Amino acid sequence: MTRYLMGRVGQAILVLWGAYSITYFILYLLPGDTLSIMLSASGIEADALSVEDLAKARAYYGLDKGLFEQYFDLLLGALHGDFGQSLSLNRPVAELLVERLPQTLSLAGLAIVLSLLGGIGLAYLAAYVRWKPLKVALARLPSLGFSVPVFWMGLLLIQVFAFGLGWFPATGSRGFESLVLPAVTLAIPSAAVYAQVLQRSFQGVWNQSYITTAFAKGLSRGQVQARHGFKNAALPILTLIGLQVGNTVSGAVLVETIFARSGIGRLAQEAVLRQDIPVVLAIVSVSAAAFVVVNLLVDLLYPWFDPRISHTPKVS
Amino acid sequence: MSKRQLPFGAVLTACALALSLVSCSPSGDKNPAGKTLNIAFFGDNTTLVSVDPFQVYWLEHRVLLRNVAESLTDQDPATGKIIAWLAKSWEVSDDALTYTFHLRDDVTFSNGERFDARAVKTAFDSNKALATELPATFGATYLAGYDHAEVVDDFTVKLVLAKPNAGFLQATSTTNLSILAPASYALSAKERSLGKIIGTGPFVLQSYTPEVGAHLTKRKGYAWASANMKNQGEAHLDAVDISYIPEESVRNGLFLQGKADILWPRNPFSEVDLKLLQSKGATIQSRSLPGPALNLYPNTRGERALADKQVRLALQKSIDRKSYASTVYNAEFPVVDGIFDVTTPYFKSQGPKLVYDPKGAEQILDAAGWTKGADGYRQKNGKRLSLSYNISPAETAGDVLIQDQLRKVGIDLKLSVVTRAEWIANNSAGNYDLTINYMTRADPIILQTILDPRTANSATLATNIYEPQVLDQAKGLFDAGITATQSQQRADAYGNLQDLLINEGSAFPIYERVWQAATSSKVKNFHWTAEGFALLGDIEIGTP
Repeated sequence: MTRYLMGRVGQAILVLWGAYSITYFILYLLPGDTLSIMLSASGIEADALSVEDLAKARAYYGLDKGLFEQYFDLLLGALHGDFGQSLSLNRPVAELLVERLPQTLSLAGLAIVLSLLGGIGLAYLAAYVRWKPLKVALARLPSLGFSVPVFWMGLLLIQVFAFGLGWFPATGSRGFESLVLPAVTLAIPSAAVYAQVLQRSFQGVWNQSYITTAFAKGLSRGQVQARHGFKNAALPILTLIGLQVGNTVSGAVLVETIFARSGIGRLAQEAVLRQDIPVVLAIVSVSAAAFVVVNLLVDLLYPWFDPRISHTPKVS
Repeated sequence: MSKRQLPFGAVLTACALALSLVSCSPSGDKNPAGKTLNIAFFGDNTTLVSVDPFQVYWLEHRVLLRNVAESLTDQDPATGKIIAWLAKSWEVSDDALTYTFHLRDDVTFSNGERFDARAVKTAFDSNKALATELPATFGATYLAGYDHAEVVDDFTVKLVLAKPNAGFLQATSTTNLSILAPASYALSAKERSLGKIIGTGPFVLQSYTPEVGAHLTKRKGYAWASANMKNQGEAHLDAVDISYIPEESVRNGLFLQGKADILWPRNPFSEVDLKLLQSKGATIQSRSLPGPALNLYPNTRGERALADKQVRLALQKSIDRKSYASTVYNAEFPVVDGIFDVTTPYFKSQGPKLVYDPKGAEQILDAAGWTKGADGYRQKNGKRLSLSYNISPAETAGDVLIQDQLRKVGIDLKLSVVTRAEWIANNSAGNYDLTINYMTRADPIILQTILDPRTANSATLATNIYEPQVLDQAKGLFDAGITATQSQQRADAYGNLQDLLINEGSAFPIYERVWQAATSSKVKNFHWTAEGFALLGDIEIGTP
């Protein structure tokens, strides 16, 4: 088990380093360079400056290092927990993360809870219902939830629940009320995936012989579904949760823009557009780390939920 | 058996809930009492995050700053005349190099410091130092030619220029050269950028949170407004809450819900929005932003199609500005009438030369050897009459309309949507046939910043708009404009320059840059400043 764990941790570190390096070099390959973007933002184009003035500006923004020199500087700093300075925000990146991360974590956290409740609830209901038309309707619902674009759903929810009914604020990141609509928006596609997968699992499980045995023992349909069906059908959901953590980060980009929340997603998108390399790298590192850790946890939890799976070599 | 199942859901739910609760910040810094004005702007500037007046060109920030920091002079929005503000009067030497300002003696900064000649010197010298350290700083163009300041006595200061700058007096009226407290300049430019701004204005900047908003509170004891303000005393409002909402429909919804009192996007309202807002009792406030209109600028260099003056003149005739204004915006929207927007001092109408004349355009193109092919587009020597126009971040209805108008005379306008970074790179390298650039300033000298190759913010753009043989003539007019000491000299120089730009086909006006804000029925006394900002000290909130 320790050996397995060490292997996985080593793998995780490799993934983190890979994500970090690939992001850095991709940002460098993007057309345009950071200096001209910064200059243009302050109202002047690089072609209007003399060579000396350009050098001054480059030094002012700390962009006077080579490709690899900057890479190793940033990497070394990151290893020491120093993510450097944001070029356009005039602030240390670590400070930005501390300020923005909680907004996205609360959003993602609530979205995951809601998507599990919604997804599992729907699939459970669909499996329990026996009236054919309703069963079919429930079974089709996940594909709808997954096909509706996130931004459209967000705008629709704002129209109905913020502007129409006035139950929740449309924008902002203050308090729990402002969290509800964005979390629901973000939860819908994930919930749809959970529901779809769980429905399939239920269909598979329902034909198993142990279900027949359970019925034979005289258990009611509800009891069979809860004790025998759900327990066996729910396992794939665990894997999906690990994968959905990544989706929540990318979904946050849209959701945070629509609801004018200041979180990590929006920060990432803007930092990419202005090629603010230290900020993008820090966000990539943090989200990659979260992804890796959650997936490691999922793998470690598997044997606990299903004793048939084991990470230790079987003794023959 | 079922014991095993509980932890699965429970653990996850607990973890996720903990995550979401831990990070919920407590709400409640709302001011329950008092009159607060809520302004909803569009998204904040995320590339240059700064509210330092000297570094900022972002219009929304200049609105905020106009009410927090004040300037030596002010500008009458109706006439463009420079009037007294923190300076009671001034003299300009005959060589236009020395400006002597006599200051008010009853003004204090919101931190208690006295406003005097020393404070003015500190402000100008600190700005100059920043412009030297970072030549790309936006305010540098306003300060052009400034050499040093002399404190004559406590309330008299001389600003000395090393070379003439006919726009300098107007520059002293802008937010860009507003006077902050000496304590603000003791801080770094970065600290000022993040909101450490202390001024003399009717409001105090309490906080600025990039991309979220800003909070202003009334300055107690304020009593030195310029003649532009109807209210000469303390502001009627207790506080102003500014929020930046990037998503248009959400921003509009907040206003319609009454959660915002002023809805102030960057682009003018569409006909549909306008009708909706008006039906809810909103008043639409409009002002053309002074400075150049939204003009397209050609690349006349090399083998490009627009190197041919005849093609440029045909292009000028192919644009239907009237239907642009009425279809992209609305029936009341002004039709662009020259190089400048009408609110710019020394604006000269070019109306007759900007008439839509597709037949005339076709004749010119036929005569120049561009013949129409079977596909409706023109060709010459096997080359299609195709123009590239880079757009970032997205094409607008207006872009497509222009494309369609040009198609009718056989010109193929290629709209290429690119990222900001690519746009900048293409522009610097001259990889375009048509491009845009604009700045807002209520003085014709703004053209120096855009179209004079020696001082423009993009030397490439400013060089490429002139054919080589016209360049010297243009430079001469720019020099005449900046060294003029009399109003008539400036009028002549800039009048001739506006004529030249149209006659040579060096600029293609498309639409008047109108800034619009919707004010709810309870907002009273909304006024524009000369540069298109609002004086919040005048605004009253009443019952509708």
